[in-house]
Amino acid sequence: MKLIVNGTEHTVNVAEDMPLLWVLRDTLGITDVKYGCGIAQCGACTVHVDGIAVRSCQLAVADVDGDVTTIQGLGAPGALHAVQAAWIEHQVAQCGYCQSGQIMQAASFLDLVPDPTDEDIDAAMSGNLCRCGTYPRIRSAIKTAASSLKSE
Amino acid sequence: MKYFLIFFISFTAPSHVKGEVNASHGEGLAAWDRIYEVVSHPRCANCHVGPSDRPMWSGPSYGDPRPHGMMIRAGESRIGAETIPCRTCHVTNETGGQDTPHAAPQVADAWRLAPVEADWFGRSSDFICAQLRDPDRNGGRTIVELAAHLDHDVILHWAWEPGGTRESAPYDLESHIADLRLWGAAGQPCAFD
Repeated sequence: MKLIVNGTEHTVNVAEDMPLLWVLRDTLGITDVKYGCGIAQCGACTVHVDGIAVRSCQLAVADVDGDVTTIQGLGAPGALHAVQAAWIEHQVAQCGYCQSGQIMQAASFLDLVPDPTDEDIDAAMSGNLCRCGTYPRIRSAIKTAASSLKSE
Repeated sequence: MKYFLIFFISFTAPSHVKGEVNASHGEGLAAWDRIYEVVSHPRCANCHVGPSDRPMWSGPSYGDPRPHGMMIRAGESRIGAETIPCRTCHVTNETGGQDTPHAAPQVADAWRLAPVEADWFGRSSDFICAQLRDPDRNGGRTIVELAAHLDHDVILHWAWEPGGTRESAPYDLESHIADLRLWGAAGQPCAFD
């Protein structure tokens, strides 16, 4: 079957019920998306399908119905997405393992809710766990990214 | 005259009569008791939270009833569009999807909360009975339309095939629909009538 990932079309020969996460990492070698729990409890595997955040460990590859974007397709060095730039500005990452999922969730959230309150941010991001406890910096970075996106 | 009578009956008879189901008051009350067992079961009631926008976690797998983890808010949209869409984790599957224990359930439809007026969680049998026969609080549906809603809306079917290690709702879809029609044929009686 065919998949478009980060703007590139791929043909994959895999079982239809293989989770998208496995296809990305093991078949296509796109390892910026992380495996955390495998049951939608942590958010580390978050990617976009047509711009909407999706836990790629839950989505059977045959059910992918749009273009897939991982963090390397969100922005590029020299042309970072506002959320990626804000993450650097606030030095959000500690160990970094959960951060690609956090950033993908935040980018999709700001697309839906451009001017979020703290309560909105907490509700939107509470499905993405961070063992390092970077939550205060995540919230600050999302506010900075929201301001940047409004001024773009 | 014969054709007039057929026309008259088919367009004026109460909708539940059209299904050719007959039931006594007692049979109707017994059917309601079974219906209440279904609608108050966690597989149904957890997403029928009334004015709240927080789905519930309750039932044998969860211990004490509590709101859905991760501070999930379904918002006014009832699909989480204001914060995190339900389908971010409860992905829509058209191909059979996954059945992993403790994973987010998924169906071939958009995961969502029931409408505000379908307020069932923690409610009594009398409360829900009065609600379901009141067109102002049941989506303006006749009993035939309620039964059809159950038949067609696949997110409701999940209650009997919840996957993972979840306990399914009692009885089965077909007998639940039959009970609704029986209750309707008896005039939708409630115990407090």
